[in-house]
Formats: sequence, structure tokens, C-alpha cells
Amino acid sequence: MGHWEVMVGNKAVAYAAKLARVQFISAFPITPQTTVVEYLAEMVANGELDAEYVTCEGELTCQTAALGASAAGARAFTATSGPGLLYMHHPMHATSNGRFPVVMAVIHRSVKGMQPDHSDMMSQRDTSWLMLECANAQELLDTGIMAFKIAEDPRVRLPTIFAGDGYILSYTAEPVEIPDQEEVDSFLLPYKSTYPLLPELAEENRNHQLAMWGFGQDPQLRWKLQQDAMDAAKTVIKEVNEEYRKRFGRGYGNGLIEEYKCDDVDAVVLAMGTIASTARTAIDQLQSEGKKVGLVRLKSFKPFPAEEIMRIGEKMKAIGVIDRNISCGNGGIVFESVRSSLYDLDARPKTLEFYAGLVGKEVTVKDIRKIAEKTLRAAKGEKLDNIVEWV
Amino acid sequence: MSKPVPLLKVGDYEYIERANQACQGCAGAIVSRIVSKVLGANAVRAEVACCGPAFMNIKNPSIYAEVFEGAGALMTGISRGLKKIGREDVVVYGIIGDGGTVDIGFQGLSAAAERNENILWIVYDNEAYMNTGGQRSSATTPYAITTTTPQGKFSRGKKEQKKSVPLMVALHGVPYVATASVSYPEDLIGKLEYAKSLKGFRFIHISAPCPTGWNYDPKDTIKIGRAMVQAGLWPLFEIIDGEKFRLTYKPKELKPVREVLKSQGRFRHTTDEEINEIQQQVTRFWERLVQKDGGSLF
Repeated sequence: MGHWEVMVGNKAVAYAAKLARVQFISAFPITPQTTVVEYLAEMVANGELDAEYVTCEGELTCQTAALGASAAGARAFTATSGPGLLYMHHPMHATSNGRFPVVMAVIHRSVKGMQPDHSDMMSQRDTSWLMLECANAQELLDTGIMAFKIAEDPRVRLPTIFAGDGYILSYTAEPVEIPDQEEVDSFLLPYKSTYPLLPELAEENRNHQLAMWGFGQDPQLRWKLQQDAMDAAKTVIKEVNEEYRKRFGRGYGNGLIEEYKCDDVDAVVLAMGTIASTARTAIDQLQSEGKKVGLVRLKSFKPFPAEEIMRIGEKMKAIGVIDRNISCGNGGIVFESVRSSLYDLDARPKTLEFYAGLVGKEVTVKDIRKIAEKTLRAAKGEKLDNIVEWV
Repeated sequence: MSKPVPLLKVGDYEYIERANQACQGCAGAIVSRIVSKVLGANAVRAEVACCGPAFMNIKNPSIYAEVFEGAGALMTGISRGLKKIGREDVVVYGIIGDGGTVDIGFQGLSAAAERNENILWIVYDNEAYMNTGGQRSSATTPYAITTTTPQGKFSRGKKEQKKSVPLMVALHGVPYVATASVSYPEDLIGKLEYAKSLKGFRFIHISAPCPTGWNYDPKDTIKIGRAMVQAGLWPLFEIIDGEKFRLTYKPKELKPVREVLKSQGRFRHTTDEEINEIQQQVTRFWERLVQKDGGSLF
């Protein structure tokens, strides 16, 4: 079953698109995403992948063209980073409004510099796209394949981002198991659009068009349906993650969150992306020293797994949230969502906020040990001067 | 090369619903009606922000994307997507306003032309952002009053030249570029049919007078469109493969621009000197086109 290769994260992303047999790729370079579309260009050029490969003149076009291809009835993929993702903002709303299941890889790059943080994806928080975060190259490949199945599920039909930290994953080589094409084919069936733009389906298209426009319906209905689809996506993500685990031997927590050594602990550190990988080492060390602190990795940012966070919050005395992003004037975006998820609990854990890794600032095991130890102090009821900290 | 086709040869079947939201006398709606009839059932229409959606109630499958600047990319995606699902037979076209073509959509237009995407880009040029109430675009004729180039103590209307977008598109070396007018339907239909017979990037830029924005009686749309062509304000030509240039309407002598300009409210404030300035520009441009007629564009 499958074979192993040592590859960088960006190549794993390209393999995901290839194994998903994408029919349309729109490409534009931006560091650190660039090599994703370079690998795909090679695959198309040498006949390994049979896809329309469009070299666009900018990311806005990449997104709009992917929208068009998906509308026409083709499985569409694109990839970008940082400012490129910002440039896509406008058509991203159109893609979700049309309910076109475009899949996009985001190789994180800060919007305030070249190095990674999650500010690029967080700037697209409200575009009605699913957002799945990865922590290693293997997970990028696996999540990429799953992303198509989730996005195209009739219960979801929303575009989906799968993301990984730039540089840390994009250019770091790791051993990756590449599943056999036949196995992926039986897991991910060919894309069948509900309303392909075909003359024989003019009537159906017209109804879809009217729905996109909101004619003759509650003007809020489109937003409501997208919110309903996000709710449904929680179930679909869990199902797809389980099926993937059964078929390929790998799954990521329950698909929404991954708990690491969370049994019999008083507190958890919660993080997203590669920081959560580093955090494992810190948690291993602390637990071997008898400290009762675990790790929760947020795998799905959108939909946000509020129920899971609540369930964990019920058992914990404190949660330390690491945000590789900030919404200035408000705070960490993950922190805000975590706190909001906990609100309805009768006994809420303490919550602590840690800004770390913004614009690529290094986050070491030592840093995370400090974060975890501070969270434990809060769990023990210690009065802390400041629950917000810049690491 | 296109050949004029009599209006009567176009089928009776109406693709555009008679009930639509276009203004009285809207040339854009006429463009939409004629184009859809000529292209027929086996076509897909793409639309971005402009007046177009007002007359988009169409029997072809269609898509409107709220991406004003994205016409070129949207059509690219549809065309490539249909190719991938084995339906290259379907004509992918868009009826796009002048703003979505010459201003905000210009980058995507150039890119789609450069890639020679298999699409038909129809522009209905009403010379301003009419859907938002008539703000100037780079397709607006000099001295025209628009809501962003009003007449006032310090303003005489639009200051800048009209951008020669059909020539710019032709320089991409695409299979077909043409100008047309709603007032010359035989010429327009001939060009549409010729474009339909080709593959690759095709661009037809149609003059579409707008009673609401140009401030004239809605019954005069066709009359004004015709007078624009006869005065050389909107020359009719086609360019094949970015090279072979041909005027498809070539009067012995152009009519003066004064009458047609003065028949529109947007030019009523112009002085003799200003009219002369426009006249000189039009005459000079026309002379240059006549020199090229039947030969190479450059």
C-alpha cells in the first residue's frame, strides 16, 4: 500500500492535487507557495497529471478562474500565500456564494512580512471557506485529498482551504507515504457538479443563478445556508477523517481537533499548525516531570469545533491558547473563539492568551514549556498579573 | 473576414426575456438580444458587475459572479472547465460593460487575450459606469459630462481621451477583434457569426448609446448610434490575427461630429472650440484608419 518518499511540504501538496486528479489548476507564483505550482506544472508537462493548467496574471484571477472552472463542472485547485491570499479576497466570497467546491492550498506567509504566521488565512476568516490546518508534510498530503471529499459533499458544497506554515513545512523534507492512485480513486470519486454550466441544464442553472442572487427569497437565506453547511461540515469532516483512517491508516484526531496526552491533566495548551508539533516535545518533557498538562491541536479552524472545545473545557482548570495571529484592537482570533465556546459552561476554566510565532518568530520547546507552566499555575488557582503574553 | 448578414436571417426565438430591468432605449439590452440569438442555444454566458445583469434573464445557462474585475478569468475558467468535461462545443461568451473591460477588468482582459483563451468577449460600450448612475470610465469621450466629471467653474467635463482598447487587444495577436454598433445590426451579426466560427480569443466592442447617461430621448438610441458611426466617433472595423485590418463601414466623407454631440445632453455645454478639438481628433484618427484599411495594422 503506497510508497515512501522524502519530500518537502510543497511537494506533498502537489501530490495531494495530483492524487485527487484535479482537472483545473490556476497558478501564480508567490513565496513560499511557488514550488507547489512548479511541481504541478512538471506533473502536467510530463503527462503524470491530465489537467488544464492556467498561468494567470495574478491571484485574483487564479481564484476567479477556479470559480469558473468549478462552475463549469471541473475539479478545481489553486494555491497561494500571504498577500496573494489577500488579493483573492473578493472572488473568495463569490466562490462560496456560488457554493463551488474549489480547494486551495494556503502556504502561510504573514501579511506583515515574508515569514509565516496565520494572518493571511485569518484575514479570510469570514469568507465562508472551510479552513483545515496541517502540522507536517504527510498531513498536507492527506488533508489535501480529504479536502476535496469534504468540499464536494452535498451536505457541504463549500470551498475549502488546507493550510500549512510556510518555510517550516514548505521547504522542509520529511518522509511521506504516498498512497496508490487506485486507492485514492476509490476513496475520492470523480467530481460531479450539481449544476454544470451546460446548455441542456439551462433551467437548473437559472434556478441556481437566482438562488445566488437571492431573488424571491429571504435576503439573509444565503448566509444562513452557508452557516448550516458549516455546521454540517463538522459531521462530514469527522466522517471523512474516519474513512481515511480506515483506508490509509492515518487520521488526525477526530478531524476537527487532535488531543495529545490529555487524559488525567488539569490544563491544556491549545495551538494550531506546526507550533503544535513543537509543543508535543514540551508536553512529553513536562509530563515526564509529573506535570499534568496536555495539548490540543486545532485541526479545523472553520468550522470551529466549539462542542469539542466545550467538552475539553469541562474537564480542565485552565487552557492556554497560542495564537499565531492577532486581530489588533480585539486580540487573538483563536483565543476569542475558544473563550466564546466555553461561555455556556457552568464552571469555566481559566483562559490564557499567548501570541507566538508571528511573522516567523521562532517558537522553541522552551517557549512552549513556559506557556504550559504558566497555564498550570493558573489551573492551580494562582493569581496571575497578566493573562495575555507576547512570547 | 466577416460578411454582413440581414437582420431577418436571425431566428425568431428570443433568448432574453421581454421582461427585464433595462432602461427604455437601452442599447445594451439590444446587444444582449442580438448576441444571444446569433450564438444560439449551445452557449454559456458569463456576467460581472455592469448593467448586464439587468438584461440577463436569459435562456442560456449563465453565471454572474460578483467579481467586477474578473470577466477574463471567469470566462477562462468556464472555457477550460468545459473543455475538461468534454464540452468544447459550447460557446463561452460574456457581455461585459466598458468599465469591466477597459478599466477594472483590463488586466484580466489582457491576460486572457495573451493566453488566447477560447472565449468570446462582447463589450457593450455606453461610455461610463451607467449601472451606478453614470460615472466616467476611460471609455468616456472627452468633454462628456458624467457624475464624476461634472461641468463647473473649474471643470469642462471629462479631460482625458477615450482609450483605444480594440487596437490594444488586437496587438495581443488574437484571432479576431472587431468594433460594431447596435445601429448597424447587419454588420454586427456578420461579425458575431464570423467570431462564432473561430476558436481562441475573440473580442467585439459594440457602441451602445445610453439614453439615461447620455441624456437624450430613449427613442433616439439607434439614430444616435448611427450618427456616431457616420461622424467617425465610432469607426467600424475588424482586425484578424492582430494584423489584417479592414474598415467595414467606409463613407466617402464623415459627417461633422457637432450634430450628434449636440444631440446629447452630456455635450450640450461644449464650446465651438471644444467641438473643434474633438473633430480634429476624430478626423486624424479616421485618416490613420483609412490608411490602414485593407492592409496590415502595423
